[in-house]
Amino acid sequence: MDQQITLSAGQAALIALWVAIVEARALGYSTLMLRFTPMMTGLIVGIVLHNIPTAMTVTAAIQLIYMGLIAPGGTMPSEPAVATAIAVPVAILAKLSPEAAIAVAVPIGLLGSYLYTFRFFINTFVVRLANKFADQLNERGITFSIVVLPIIVSLVIFFPTIFIALYKGTPLIAALVKTVSAGKVFHMLSVIGGGLPALGIALTLTVIGKRKFVVFFLLSYFMTVILKPLNVNTVTYAVLGGIIAYLYVMLASPQQVEE
Amino acid sequence: MGTNEKSKDLSTDQANGFPEKITKKDLHRAWFRWWYVNEIPHNYETMIAPSFLWAMMPILKKLYKKAEDLKEAYKRHLLFFNTQCIWGGGTILGITISLEEERAKAIAEGRKEEAVTPEVINNTKVGLMGPLAGIGDAIDSGTVQYILIALALPWAQAGNPLGALIPWVAFVTITYLYGFYFVRAGYSLGRAAVAEIVSGKRIRSIIDGLSVLGTFMMGVLAASYVNVSTPLKWTISGKEFVLQQILDKILPGMLPLLVVMSVYLYFSRKGLKIIQVLMWLIVIFAVLGFIGIL
Repeated sequence: MDQQITLSAGQAALIALWVAIVEARALGYSTLMLRFTPMMTGLIVGIVLHNIPTAMTVTAAIQLIYMGLIAPGGTMPSEPAVATAIAVPVAILAKLSPEAAIAVAVPIGLLGSYLYTFRFFINTFVVRLANKFADQLNERGITFSIVVLPIIVSLVIFFPTIFIALYKGTPLIAALVKTVSAGKVFHMLSVIGGGLPALGIALTLTVIGKRKFVVFFLLSYFMTVILKPLNVNTVTYAVLGGIIAYLYVMLASPQQVEE
Repeated sequence: MGTNEKSKDLSTDQANGFPEKITKKDLHRAWFRWWYVNEIPHNYETMIAPSFLWAMMPILKKLYKKAEDLKEAYKRHLLFFNTQCIWGGGTILGITISLEEERAKAIAEGRKEEAVTPEVINNTKVGLMGPLAGIGDAIDSGTVQYILIALALPWAQAGNPLGALIPWVAFVTITYLYGFYFVRAGYSLGRAAVAEIVSGKRIRSIIDGLSVLGTFMMGVLAASYVNVSTPLKWTISGKEFVLQQILDKILPGMLPLLVVMSVYLYFSRKGLKIIQVLMWLIVIFAVLGFIGIL
């Protein structure tokens, strides 16, 4: 038998349900990281497809292009959770490299953000009901219009779209990508995948905001380039960064640290 | 005072009842409700105002024993409101609870003219929501979140599920805890908390320290994960020139740094036009890859 190249309806439904719950924000503020980063969605896909190691490796590659993604002004330019829910199954089933998976994830993430915008739009009408219930001091009504209905709206928007894309679309996407994998297109996709992490990193630098801090970026950048042969891990760099941050604060305003 | 009100109904017996005391448990309940409902009703008209009302409901019920007062309170929290959940939401929730409590007491004691007005309550919320959202977005979403992700990324790359689980659990736990601290600080300091948080030097130092660390970590990530190199080479009179080797001799890591800094400068000058930059990067890399420069 060949490897499994389609998801079962049950697998597609489980992944679609997870994404719908995340995009509905139905798990409170914990959905911030679930929505902004692909990591947990990648893990869920790995569990559902019984291949956690591959799912994690591919998801880690996808994470890099979304590193630093936040939602300035409320909406994000891309929905990493949606992108991951489609790209990781495709990558696992079609045995794609992580770089090729990134190329699948990017356009899907962009499409996902339109679904989220649609949710915003529908919520505008749903939530108006709360005014009426507030007039009647109807608590159940208020809860219904503020919590229950918006969650239902998101489930209705996200569940069927993700389910259909996974159940019917995956073999198609996988086949398409596989025919492409050998040639020039694949090289282009890899070049794009290799360069795109620059976007998220530049975004984070911009969000942190202070130009004078860019010197610390340059410091750690060249440090890491030079020390590459030593395989220094991220935790060690974080410790060094913490010490440098402490020294900076101490020198900038000594009395704050002594307290 | 001292009446022990067991009934929760707004019966006429309690029409002039005094507000119940707000306990730490009430604060925690309001915080949990806010934390949970946060962006569920996010919409274009009032943004997350409905979430704030839903968080405040049990508190408002304890404070306003007259149906009209309660209705008025419900409706004033349905006006436009938008902020970040932890720094903005936590602090503003605490302060608003203290303001509502003052107002409810004054009304119950028949000093309605002296009571904190709905305008003051709304202006305080609106005045604080912007700056605190800026701080919260930069620290929670922009820094704490990605420090945790970056720390765990090597595990994920090695195929370990802890690379996903640990940053999520850590982020949720940490932000929940200091968010509740902001609620209590906001509540006890009332409107004084504004100065403490927005202009407090200690907070400034913490933000600076986190910003330095965040910037530093981005340098590590850029050097490790941005892959831009050129396959170009020439043979001139029998000798082979490999462009990438020449570039590495001049300045190692030159090309990835060039890409990151170009995007950074673009964002600094033109604002966060993320979709445009994303599209341009895809087009440019695709073309350069196609013609064999990259």
